[in-house]
Amino acid sequence: MRTYLNRHLQVLFAAIGTFARTPFASLATILIIAITLVLPSILYITLKSGQQIAEGWQGRPQISIFIDTELGAQEAKLIFAELSLHPAIETAEFLTPQQALEEFTALSGMSYELDFLGENPLPASIVAMPDQENSESDSLQALKTELEKIEGIESIRLDLEWTDKFNSLLNTAERTTYLLFALLSAALFLIVGNTIKLLIMNRRDEIEVTKLVGGSNAFVRRPFLYYGFLFGVCGGVCALVLLYFSAIYISPALENLATLYQKETLVYQLNWHELLCIVAFGGALGWIAARLSVARHLRHIKPR
Amino acid sequence: MITLDHVSKIYQNGHQALNDVSFNMAAGEMAFLLGHSGAGKSTLFKLITAIEKPTSGRITVDGKSFDKLRDSQIPALRQEIGVVFQDHKLLYDRTVFDNVALPLIVIGMSHDEIKKRVRAALGKVGLSGKEKVLPVALSGGEQQRVGIARAVINRPNILLADEPTGNLDESLSDEILDIFADFNRVGVTVLIATHDLRQVERLNKRTIELSQGEITGGETIEPTKLS
Ligand SMILES: Nc1ncnc2c1ncn2[C@@H]1O[C@H](COP(=O)(O)OP(=O)(O)OP(=O)(O)O)[C@@H](O)[C@H]1O
Ligand SMILES: [Mg+2]
Repeated sequence: MRTYLNRHLQVLFAAIGTFARTPFASLATILIIAITLVLPSILYITLKSGQQIAEGWQGRPQISIFIDTELGAQEAKLIFAELSLHPAIETAEFLTPQQALEEFTALSGMSYELDFLGENPLPASIVAMPDQENSESDSLQALKTELEKIEGIESIRLDLEWTDKFNSLLNTAERTTYLLFALLSAALFLIVGNTIKLLIMNRRDEIEVTKLVGGSNAFVRRPFLYYGFLFGVCGGVCALVLLYFSAIYISPALENLATLYQKETLVYQLNWHELLCIVAFGGALGWIAARLSVARHLRHIKPR
Repeated sequence: MITLDHVSKIYQNGHQALNDVSFNMAAGEMAFLLGHSGAGKSTLFKLITAIEKPTSGRITVDGKSFDKLRDSQIPALRQEIGVVFQDHKLLYDRTVFDNVALPLIVIGMSHDEIKKRVRAALGKVGLSGKEKVLPVALSGGEQQRVGIARAVINRPNILLADEPTGNLDESLSDEILDIFADFNRVGVTVLIATHDLRQVERLNKRTIELSQGEITGGETIEPTKLS
């Protein structure tokens, strides 16, 4: 067992040595692997961040009811009273045009521009929340059509529509992410496989002589598997560094999105599990790619 | 130890390098393989080390019949045979130490033991202190001796040497062949291909003569008569 371990360590160090001897070629391969891993990972992080934002709404849809601007404050209050008593509505909150403007200003930071308009363009509105039974998409739609018939109501917006849209967008993004993962993994296979092939060709003499003095196939194969593994692991670690900087770059945009939806969500933080996964994925892919490449190319090298 | 039974070898290009060759070497025997250039000496060595497969005939080395030899068993066979190659087959981007150590590295020997053995082997061929040198910085004769050190490093049962003294002067040739004779004295079976008739006479060992792929002389023994 000890000699077995020793042997593997020796080969591992030798592999690291070869890396050091050809730093630029190795670095180039590692960087390509890193970039290949980073692309889908960024999508994944964006996806997760989006899901975090979406999560908050689920189960409690909001109905925004906008009152006809022609209507006076008294009449608007009457509609509010009517809605508050509606059996399907659990809570309702009245927003005067002034309150609506204040909220909008606070959210968008556009107070100066609005001042120029002189007059408040916003209607009075009611934010209502349906009870549990009426929170499903279908019954909400029914409720919406029912309420739209009430005179004095200009329009009704279901926040669920946005949730649905956003969710289907996230779904698309999720599928795209997985597809990209699959496609780029295939690319990674080719990259590592080709690098290993070049290494094998470069060391043709060494392989031949090693076989001549009794080196087994497993012995000859081993360093190349380590190269593949090391390439993958180093690529994975590089990918993490790139991801860190990518996250810093994306973060402001996502924060903006989050505030728009009244949430304090930041960029999704990959947990150590997922971080490890990226590195392990790189390593495993490198190993398997090397194995396939070695199986294809080592066969053709026979001592003469 | 080594038995060839009606062995022929026709290369892929149709060239017949060996034709119906039969001979036997007992364990612990030492012999010279004689023949002009192109007679098939190197081909014979390649067959014994399973680098090439015979076109017909049977080969047995150390009790193992090559008919039944699986590819996975070839490494173990080669570990048992030390070979000095005609073209040295050294790794020119590795140090002398690494070159000589290779047969021990492939069997996973510990580093300390490898160090000890390499030092001893290099001492024996007169290359002490050249461990860290690259082979390109050595003369042809010195390179040949690196190949010899590598061949004997794993204490093989069988030693094959393909013109091991081709690049050496007389006194060095004597020394090297004495090393082979020493190995033979402790029981190693030794077969040396050579043009150097002076050595053949000096050591007075059995000869096997090849000419155009056929055995034409020497004290060969038919395998059938042996058993
Ligand atoms: N791989 C090969 N393919 C085709 N022909 C070959 C091959 N190897 C050797 N030969 C031919 O087989 C014949 C025997 O070659 P071999 O190398 O065994 O001769 P040799 O006795 O070792 O000669 P030398 O003393 O010059 O080394 C030669 O005519 C050579 O051209
Ligand atoms: Mg020859």
